[in-house]
Amino acid sequence: MAEWLNSLRLRVRAFLRRRQLEQDLQDELAFHLAMRAEQLDTSGASDARAGARRQFGNVTRIREDLRESWALAPRLGGLVRDFRYAARTLPRSPGFAVVVVLTLGLGIGANTAFFSVVNAVLIRPLGYAEADRLALLYEGFPQRIDRLPFSALDFDDFRRWQQSFEAVAAYRNVPFEISGDGRPERITGARASADLFRTLGVGPAIGRAFSADEDRPGVNVAILSWGIWQRRYGGDPAMVGGRIQLDRQSYTIVGVMPDGFVFPRRGPQFNGEPADVWVPIAFTDRERAERASMHNNSVIARLRHGVTLDAARAELDLIAERIGANYPPAVRNAGISPELTAAPLREEISGRFQTPLLLLLAAVGLVLLVACANVANLILSRVTGRAREFAVRTALGARRTQIIQLLLCEALLLSAAGGVVGVAIAWWAVNAAPAVLTRTVPGLHELAIDLRVLAFTSVVCLATAVICALVPLATLDRRHPADSLRDEPSRTTSGAGRLHLQRGFVVVTVTLACVLLAGAGLFIRSFAALAATDVGFRPAQVLTASMTLPRTFYTTSASVRAFHESLSRSLSALPGVRSVGLATDLPLTTYELRAFTPESSNLAEGALPATSLSWVHGPYCESLGMTLKGGRFFAQDEYVQNRSVVIVNEKLAALVWPGEDPVGKRLKWGAAGGPWPWLTVVGVIGNVADGPIGAEPRIHAYEPFRQMPDVFLNGAVNQFGRDVTAAVLAEGDARALSALVRQEITELDPELAIESIQLMDDRVREVVAPQRFSTLLVGAFAGIALLLASVGLYGLLAFTMAQRQKEIGVRLALGAERRAVMGMVIGQGARLVAVGLAIGLLGSIALTRLVASLLHQSNPYDLQALAVIPAVLVPAALLACAIPAWRAARVDPITVLRAE
Amino acid sequence: MGANPRKPADLLQGTLELLILRTLATGAKHGYEIAEWIHVASAEALSVEEGALYPALHRLELRGLLTSHWDVSANNRRAKYYRLTASGRTRLKDATASWRRTSAAIDRVLEPT
Repeated sequence: MAEWLNSLRLRVRAFLRRRQLEQDLQDELAFHLAMRAEQLDTSGASDARAGARRQFGNVTRIREDLRESWALAPRLGGLVRDFRYAARTLPRSPGFAVVVVLTLGLGIGANTAFFSVVNAVLIRPLGYAEADRLALLYEGFPQRIDRLPFSALDFDDFRRWQQSFEAVAAYRNVPFEISGDGRPERITGARASADLFRTLGVGPAIGRAFSADEDRPGVNVAILSWGIWQRRYGGDPAMVGGRIQLDRQSYTIVGVMPDGFVFPRRGPQFNGEPADVWVPIAFTDRERAERASMHNNSVIARLRHGVTLDAARAELDLIAERIGANYPPAVRNAGISPELTAAPLREEISGRFQTPLLLLLAAVGLVLLVACANVANLILSRVTGRAREFAVRTALGARRTQIIQLLLCEALLLSAAGGVVGVAIAWWAVNAAPAVLTRTVPGLHELAIDLRVLAFTSVVCLATAVICALVPLATLDRRHPADSLRDEPSRTTSGAGRLHLQRGFVVVTVTLACVLLAGAGLFIRSFAALAATDVGFRPAQVLTASMTLPRTFYTTSASVRAFHESLSRSLSALPGVRSVGLATDLPLTTYELRAFTPESSNLAEGALPATSLSWVHGPYCESLGMTLKGGRFFAQDEYVQNRSVVIVNEKLAALVWPGEDPVGKRLKWGAAGGPWPWLTVVGVIGNVADGPIGAEPRIHAYEPFRQMPDVFLNGAVNQFGRDVTAAVLAEGDARALSALVRQEITELDPELAIESIQLMDDRVREVVAPQRFSTLLVGAFAGIALLLASVGLYGLLAFTMAQRQKEIGVRLALGAERRAVMGMVIGQGARLVAVGLAIGLLGSIALTRLVASLLHQSNPYDLQALAVIPAVLVPAALLACAIPAWRAARVDPITVLRAE
Repeated sequence: MGANPRKPADLLQGTLELLILRTLATGAKHGYEIAEWIHVASAEALSVEEGALYPALHRLELRGLLTSHWDVSANNRRAKYYRLTASGRTRLKDATASWRRTSAAIDRVLEPT
């Protein structure tokens, strides 16, 4: 230890007297040489000084060694020196430096930007304590529907009986109209068990969570999100304990959740809207009234320490049986029994994005590889030009490791500069990410370049530098420096090995560009197929407006029906409106699901899945241009009086009454012996896309809103039946109507917050936004790769042509035709492209089989997509060859030969 | 490289340090003197590779086994003199003992049977 301290003391002293140290090293060795020379002189040697040097060895190198051993941090001194040298010499070849930095910047930037997406969606913690112990639970009914949220009674039973979980909580999204101070606003809220926050392991930043006895009807308490507390209330601490108006009722604020707390998170199938306010779920007697109905409570649970999810699943099976035994006999006899399933929370949130994101990350990695290959090639060319410099360095005593260190320092400097450019590009890209995406992909609203992303970028930069520097190193001149120096590196062709390597790099870039182009082709074709999918309705010229009537203000069914009536009347009266239809939901969204029984069907009892159900008022199907396949749309008086009619989609008709005419057949909700009336099918319409476009639509039924039983609406406990969406078909441009529509709604109810007014076209576009985005991304990656490959090809040809100038001059002087010279250059490039193309096409066929499974309607052997590759690549490559070829043909033999 | 009977023996790894320490036990010397002393004292059997001498000297100095000072040499030139420190002396004693043991052991092995 003392030895170490002593050495540090000496090093520090040497560092403080750097100049003196330098002088001392010089003097000490000079003294030795002088003494030796004197001794040799007296013994009669011919050249005493030279003899002394010969006997001593390499003076410069030994002095370097000594200096190194005194350096403050051994080895670092040399590094600093090499970095300085690189920083000084690189600007002397600005063309080289700029091209390399931009190439790497593009590659690193694309990777950084995309990794920040992966980070936001897949890696960043969810913000709950030990989130890997959290699971989402679902009910399901075999053969009818796989997954549903829980009903209130089933949740109560489950909570009472379960042993596997430390804490369980039910929650459900509810829209709230927040008013009182300032403009009324439509916000997303959630009703949640008092245990929710304990389950998540996160408490409020200010105030307290709900207590167990607040989880009952009539207790109006609420917890705010940090975001709305800041935005709407300016972060006023006095708000805790204060009151706010939710749906025009007064609530006491008991707490504010911390900054960055998000719940529910986007991603899960049900109740996946981040809430700005939480209130107790407070099941009412009404919600607890009926078994096997009102499945709308999502359930989150925290596994006990040491209990695996599989163990919990085994327990869930047992509990499901006990719950099923509690179902009323009518339901049980219909063969309806629940099952309970559980899935890890993380998987539910982002599981389905994992494969596509990792795939895109691999694609963007390929782009970086192309960039690296290009840069390695450029460095290789430069190393060729610097062969003389290295030979001189070796002659002066530089070791191989020192030259390697110098090259690495250069590469590091270049890749660091590339990294800075890359982060700038990524920062721009992240900020330009379209809002459509940040709203639809879970986690993306937190898209940012954080420390983890920067760490990733640093590793990428380092790896890039190593790849770029090490490859050229392999070709470093191993000959004796004297031999290297005898060459005239600037005039003769470079070593054959190096040229092979450079050609290899060009082939690699062409191959990689090919693979990316193939991927892009698949994505584009798949997206085109998606965009061309028949959605079953005509979105053009339709404006939509959605809102939710607060149940505390629209307390009776009469008030809800009156709102429907006046809304459709006033909107229809607007100039430029052709027709107006209202519905509880729009195409492409999720629907109410109902079990039903057909009157006469050959289907076995209990084998029918639940159907989607939409309640409509006015010519809704007509306004959205749905196609009638049989029977008729609803008649005007069916919106006014209850005639017990229903319209079904083709899929339902084909399932229930295959080969028969469904018009005139009857069905009812629930079991055959249930309380609901029989409904007569009056029409059949074509299937309308309901989930993601391209997915098979579900069976679907449409009923006039007039037929919604009053009991659902009178003094209701939830928002059921109070969602209103207007579909307004315009005579001309629908967008022009939006201000008028907003004004009409505000006139009907000045306090009603409008959720959104949007063109139906835009809604359709939003649904396919992730696919559009990934298609654009892959296209951009392929474009960059193509550009880089072309630049690389150009660079190589330009470089070899410059080196072969003398040879070409001689050829021309001997009478070679300029066309032949051009042909020679283009032929050289074409051979490389042909090889790259051939390998690339084979590779693409292999790789795209992987991708195809993820894409909508795509065929991995899609010849049209593959044919695009040469069609795009060959012209780009020819252009890259043409310029050097043209230049080669213009070589003036006299000038070149005179330079000899 | 290879074995050359006419060339003085290459020094074993680590022995150069031992020789330097031993040389300096007789008093302060500069680098050239050390090289010559070893050459002469070994009856011209050992020749220090002069280039390697100085890195070894500086290493020993940094480890605190030697100290150095600048002085005027016999022929009136500025020269760097090295001297053993207390820990240098201890080290010399230990290293000498260990060398004796090793070389005696090797001798025994090499003795004709």
